[in-house]
Parts: sequence; structure tokens; C-alpha cells
Amino acid sequence: MNARRIVIAAVLLAALIGSGGTAVGQQPAPAGVPDLSGGWLRLDSGSGSFDGTVAKHPPAELTAAGRSMVVAGDGRNVIPQGGFKGPAKRAGEAYIVNNGACTPEGTGGSAINPNSTAIFLLQSKDEVLMVREGPGGRRFYMDGRAHPDLAKLPPSMYGHSTGRYEGNALIVETVGLTEGNVQGGGKRRPETRLTERFELAPDGKRLTITYTWDDPVLYVRPFTYQYFFERLPEDSYAFETWCDASDPLQRQSIVPPKQQ
Amino acid sequence: MKLVAVVLPVAAILAGTAPLTAQAGAQHDISGYWELPIDGRFVPSARLSPRVTPAMIQAEARKTAKAIRWCNWVGMPTTMDVGRPLNIRQGAREIVIMAESPVAPVRHLYLNRKTHIDKDTFDPTTSGDSIAHWEGDTLVVDTTGFEPTKGITEIPGGGFRTASSHLVERYRLLKNGTMLSVKFTWTDPSVFQTPHSYEFRYQRVEKGYEPWPYQLCDPFDQERAAFLDQPR
Repeated sequence: MNARRIVIAAVLLAALIGSGGTAVGQQPAPAGVPDLSGGWLRLDSGSGSFDGTVAKHPPAELTAAGRSMVVAGDGRNVIPQGGFKGPAKRAGEAYIVNNGACTPEGTGGSAINPNSTAIFLLQSKDEVLMVREGPGGRRFYMDGRAHPDLAKLPPSMYGHSTGRYEGNALIVETVGLTEGNVQGGGKRRPETRLTERFELAPDGKRLTITYTWDDPVLYVRPFTYQYFFERLPEDSYAFETWCDASDPLQRQSIVPPKQQ
Repeated sequence: MKLVAVVLPVAAILAGTAPLTAQAGAQHDISGYWELPIDGRFVPSARLSPRVTPAMIQAEARKTAKAIRWCNWVGMPTTMDVGRPLNIRQGAREIVIMAESPVAPVRHLYLNRKTHIDKDTFDPTTSGDSIAHWEGDTLVVDTTGFEPTKGITEIPGGGFRTASSHLVERYRLLKNGTMLSVKFTWTDPSVFQTPHSYEFRYQRVEKGYEPWPYQLCDPFDQERAAFLDQPR
């Protein structure tokens, strides 16, 4: 082996590694797919609040069946009876917002609807994981399997998700979610199909997730909105969102004082 | 072989990455679902420090009972033994361990840094701060920064985690990759006379396995509460 061959081989390999691939032998996403792995923080997109982000999109158009659907939920983390209907609270006044039970996403959190807590994506060959800063998380099966028969799949907060790459995007389809509300006035049931399109900006620092809820029984037309995320620094790490149902303060919120 | 040995470090330098030799062993992939069988635990009794009193042990047991009763996040070391398979996924920056449990926080084992987060910055958690690297065919995970008051603090074999606990885990594939050995060693002079080690051996779950949706832990389930609140 001569020095020239070594240099050529090294340059070719360096180009491969430097082009966004990862070190030989590690288990990154398959070659040629967007590098989504890492921490992501949701942006409010200048609307002033996360709800406002969704308000930028046309609201969900529900069918009569959709409008009449009563969301029972699982009885936890619900607004107590009469909540938010009394006289307006004063600044600094505490009030009860939920029953204090913890879900894997914390009180009032949602597996599907990221809030201010970071999300972490990890791409492996067979699965992509999407976890938060507590227990549990979503699994996107990437091996081409189909969704199971809904009649045999117990509805769950994560549902059943399959994924595939299309160019620079990860496409995830989910069914089998528990009944619930969706941002922007939407609703969902186990039969509702959620399609999420994860698209990486060319600089790799921004992520857009486009959500499309499709269910002809509930929606006049598929309901779509987008969330935007920025990549956390390489050396960032996951916190732990603590939740203790035995702590009465867990049930409370407080009216924020007027901002100066 | 010689070509690889020479080319890889040179290529790494040219690419601006760490030399690949620093990632030796990374060709081992522990991704998959792993379950702990009934004969998968080798847990000797811990040699506790004389400073550990019966009252301290009782206090830790009460902490455990409280955590279970109120569906608190359990944290380490319980996350590694929740009675259902662990989903371990190996990425380039980190390895994630997700237990099939509504109360076991996801573990993040960081491959992309060699030192722990500064104590002045890191808020202790039930899982602690874990950094990992490969030593040959063994993944070595080093964890500090434990929260001493939250979750299940008790350690198999005796003792409990404290703010000064230091855990080293060594992961190694056995039997052609069908078994995963994890050797745990806890060091904490305030609890143990000598480092306390035990080993779990997990079996790889068959390909195509899917976790079944688990029941959420409900602290307000009255029947459950009555069962757990019985006098002991």
C-alpha cells in the first residue's frame, strides 16, 4: 500500500463522514435520510402563545358528527366542573386547573401536541423514537409494517405509528389514538388518521412538523396546521419533568401578574 | 485491514471528527427490545456502611411506598426492572432506554460528551446524568447527579441512592447477541462499605415485537388506593 492510495482513500472517507454522515459503526439513521436526531424546542412563531400558533391556520371544519362528539377523555387532567366559569381571578390568585394526576407528559401534557418541553428524536434503523422529558414516548416503526386491525388495538395516548422517509422528510402516520381534542378546534378518535411530516431546513437547525388530521366522519376536509422547532445545541441534555400527584400544588395554576 | 487501520484515523482528522479509534466498539449495536427473565438477576447482598441505620432503611422503604402509591416517576435503578421489556435504541449522539412503564423516565446515555454536566448547572434527577463510551465490546455508562428524595431510591441487594451515589454500568452482548448483560456497580461511601455490584441478563425479544399500550398509573383509582394503603 503506498502513501498516495492512503491519502485518496482517507479523503474519500472524510468526505463521506463530513457530509453529514456519522462515524462508522454507530447506529444512526440510514444513509441518505435527514438527520433529525437530537433535541428540539418548539417555537411560538411570533404569535405570543402556542395556541396563537395554531390560530394562524384556518380552524378545523367539523361535520355535524364531529361537532356533536363529546370528548370524555380518561377522566384525568380535566378541567374541574365549573372551572373557568366563575368570576375572573385576580392577578396572583391561585386556582385549581386539573385533578393533579400525572401522565407521562406531566399534568395536562399531550403525547401528540408538543408544548414548551423539548422533544428528542432518535433515529435507528427499525424505529424512530420521539421522547419528552418524562416516562414513555412515541415509536415510529420504520420497517414497513402495517397498522394492526383497529378492532384489536386498544386506543392509547400514543396510538400506532409507522414511518417512512420521502426525500428530506420523515412521514409518520398514526391511528389508534384515544378520543380527544385536537388543536384549533379539532377532535380525534381511534379511527382518525394523523399524518405528520417532519421537514428539516437546509441548515439543519430548524424543523417543521405539518400535522394533518383526516377522518371523513369528523372533518369536512383534512385539518392541517404546522409547528416549528429549533434544534437544541449539540451539548444540551434532557431535563426531567417532575410530577407528584400527592402534592396539592400540582393541581393549581396562578393568574400571572400584569406584565409591565 | 492495514488499509483500514491507517485510513480511518486520517479520514477522521480530515473530516474534523474525533478519531474513529475513540469509538472502538461502536460496531456493537444493542438496539432492540430486551426483557428480564425470572432467572436473569444475580444480586448479592450489599455490604452496607455502619452509618446506615434501620431507621434510614425504613425511611427509604416509606419513600418507595409513597412513590408507588402516587405514581411518581421511579427513576434509577428501578427503570431497568419494571417487569416489561426495555426498548434500547442506539444513535450517533446518544443511546435511549425507554421502559414500558408510565412511571419510568426515559434514560439518555450520552455518547457525545466525556464529562458530566457541571454540578452547579445540573438539577439532580431520578435518572441522573449518564455519559457513555465503548471499551472494546463493552458499553460503559457512568452516572452521577441523582435526586435523593424522589422516586424509588432503593437499590437491589440493599442500600439506596443518594446525591453522592455513583453508578457504573457495563453493557455487553452475549450468546450471539441474543442476551444483554448489564453489570451495575454502585459506589457511595455514605451507604456502602465496598462498591455494590449485581448483574441483570436480558433476553432479546423476538423481531416484530410491539409494546402493548399499558394502563396509565392512576393515583386516584379508589380500589387501587385501598389496596396500597392497607396497614403493613
